[in-house]
Amino acid sequence: MALLEASGIGKVYPGGVVANDGVNLVIEPGEVHAVVGENGAGKSTLMKILFGIEQPNAGTLTLDGRPVSFANPREAIDAGIGMVFQHFSLVPSFSVYENVVLGSEPRAGIRLDRDKAIAEVRALSDKFRLKVDPLPPVRTLPVGQQQRVEILKALYRNARILILDEPTAVLAPQEVQELFVAIRSLVAQGKTVIFIAHKLPEVLEISNTITVMRQGKTVGQVKTREVTEKSLAAMMVGREVALRVERKPTDQTQRVAAVSGLRVVNALGTEVVAGLDLNVHSGEVVGLVGVEGNGQAETLEAIAGLRSIVAGTITIANENATPMSVLERRGLGLASIPEDRIAQGLSTGSTVAENLVATRLNDKRYVRNGLLDLKAIRANAVRLIEQFSIRVGGPNYTVGTLSGGNMQKVVVARELSEQPKLLLVNQPTRGVDLGATQFIWRTITDARDAGAAVLLSSADLGELLALSDRLLVLYRGKIVAAFINTPDLTPETLGTYMLGLSTQTADEMKAALK
Amino acid sequence: MMELFVTVFSAAFFVTIIRTTTPLLLATLGGLIADLSGALNVALEGMMLIGCLTAVIVSVYAPWYVAVAAGLGAGALLGLIMAFFAYRMKADIILVGFAINILATGGTVFALALATGGDKGTSINLQSKAIPAVDLGFLSGIPVVGPTLTALLSGHSVLSWLAAFLVFAVWYFLYRTPWGLWLRGVGEYPAAPEAAGIPVNRIRTLSLVVSGALAGLGGAQLAMFNYVGFTRDMTAGRGFIALGAVLLGARHPVGALLAALLFGAFEALAVVMPGLFNDIPAELIRMIPFVVTIAALVLFSIRAQRALALRGVK
Repeated sequence: MALLEASGIGKVYPGGVVANDGVNLVIEPGEVHAVVGENGAGKSTLMKILFGIEQPNAGTLTLDGRPVSFANPREAIDAGIGMVFQHFSLVPSFSVYENVVLGSEPRAGIRLDRDKAIAEVRALSDKFRLKVDPLPPVRTLPVGQQQRVEILKALYRNARILILDEPTAVLAPQEVQELFVAIRSLVAQGKTVIFIAHKLPEVLEISNTITVMRQGKTVGQVKTREVTEKSLAAMMVGREVALRVERKPTDQTQRVAAVSGLRVVNALGTEVVAGLDLNVHSGEVVGLVGVEGNGQAETLEAIAGLRSIVAGTITIANENATPMSVLERRGLGLASIPEDRIAQGLSTGSTVAENLVATRLNDKRYVRNGLLDLKAIRANAVRLIEQFSIRVGGPNYTVGTLSGGNMQKVVVARELSEQPKLLLVNQPTRGVDLGATQFIWRTITDARDAGAAVLLSSADLGELLALSDRLLVLYRGKIVAAFINTPDLTPETLGTYMLGLSTQTADEMKAALK
Repeated sequence: MMELFVTVFSAAFFVTIIRTTTPLLLATLGGLIADLSGALNVALEGMMLIGCLTAVIVSVYAPWYVAVAAGLGAGALLGLIMAFFAYRMKADIILVGFAINILATGGTVFALALATGGDKGTSINLQSKAIPAVDLGFLSGIPVVGPTLTALLSGHSVLSWLAAFLVFAVWYFLYRTPWGLWLRGVGEYPAAPEAAGIPVNRIRTLSLVVSGALAGLGGAQLAMFNYVGFTRDMTAGRGFIALGAVLLGARHPVGALLAALLFGAFEALAVVMPGLFNDIPAELIRMIPFVVTIAALVLFSIRAQRALALRGVK
């Protein structure tokens, strides 16, 4: 008998968006069940329904053969379902044990029984091989450990079924392996794991069963050993996809950007970029590799002029850009696709047309005599929507109504509608579906082929390996390894450097540092 | 100048400080609870003022403790109203707070005029009661230190003792009980308690209710002990000083106590100084607590930024 079964689930959001339409999911006890699908396929909505965050408009849930419905997460937790979100739900200043017990604290009278809480967290972490110290505040822990805290949280609440929402998105390859060890240990001790994922090789490695979703519907449920990466991708997208980009040979002798001795300190006073030197040449993509939080984002922000620096110089197109404002740097031919499209890349309350000219408000074509030329702005938007195949009702739709992939296309369209000299790209395809990913990769590569110098940072090693000419590995704000991208370069090789397990000598790096 | 020193180091001055500090401290604790739950309670001022008037009017007809409870209840009700508009109706909490402040300024004068039969300035013709002082005269029986102890500890309002206890109680609640953990979690990162099945909005609402109750209690102390009777705008910015005291006290109950004492001390100074310096306009002296508030907040901010700069953050 199935442990958890969802049948005919339908969910329409108040805005009229149909997120789930007749979705079926059958989870057997003791299995790792992967749910895959593009962004917007309805995976997250389905999980939110299983966890009681959203209520379905149609369909039934059964647990142990009995029909159930969850009005809120609490009821789902009480029924033995736990969920680890992609964005962790941890209070940064609370210690590990406080986060684990939050909401179900052991009590001694009206007091929180601290000793008991610590002991219980220790016991759980030993039992399920999720090593983590219960005492330090979670904000001081690396991402991989924070994730373990999240899993412990669910286990502490006696979860029998654990839903992991894209758990590998933020992890380095070695950390992914550790997570998989933990998942196997969980299953061996009788737990059931539902695993939501984008990355197909990982799905194939860890799961027993796979449910594929597309456009709010379940396409099918398959046994992992009966499918290949290719057949899965085809099921997800509904057509064959080739996740590869052809790169033209380019002249990479002309230096466009140079960073030397860059030091950046974050708000807590920790040095996040510690004396960084790098050059980017026209016609090449330089990939910044590293576990998140090792200085990649700060380096890109410093070059873009979005973050003040402690020391170092930044040269763009042979001019010292260190004292320049963001606008002056853009004047030198800099374009930037930021990490967080919603917070930094777009004004979600403004229209697509407005967003597309937001960086050109001193451009005579769009602003004359201090007044917006609405006709020109609209024409520009119509042209870019067409050129970048942004799926939107029209130029006057607010950006907030678009899907993640289309929002990102708006950013890309704005930054690349004119050929930049230097392009900074951070996480260009995070949370973007396969179709849009393919398009964005192609667009970045076209910019490179046309002579742009590109500096790319991504949490997805596959993306870095697919797009980069050279790769620089950052660990604690320093370059610890540099590679020229060749087909034999593997994620595992990069991984040992990403985790600081080894460091190249200056000689080894020389060739790839240019 | 000598006279000032003699005054400042007298037991009577200490008693004055405790008196001026008490309403501030209660409001600061209220501000602290709201702040830690993630809401900047700019309505402390209005809640205090309405607490003042409610306590005064009720005390005409009922015993003092009922009046104090009424002041507290009025504050709590305003907290509930604030929570309703901010969390249920999704209005901006700062604007809701200012709406309450404006309502308090006008509303108290209107209600006062109704209650007194036309007086729009004070409740002088209402027979309002005072909160009793706690007499610890028996302490003077203790040899050597007895008289000093009596001079320092006797004669404080019941609410002063309650406020001192509340500093401890709030600390214990915040840092030792599960509900304190919930409240701080809700304020710092609501997604975490939400995912843990904690009723986030209920906690936010309760925090504002308690915040309002404490401000109302502060108002009762102000209008039934510091002064007996209501005067229009008698809170005179204390609610805003309390907001500053929350920050200055580093968002901690003990810090809140110290910050409230600092402001209370300067307010006490402003109370005693006019009698000593005839040539300085009294209005100028009465500005002292507010100038100190601004100066303290500026210094606090400079120090915080310097600490960041020391670590290399611009």
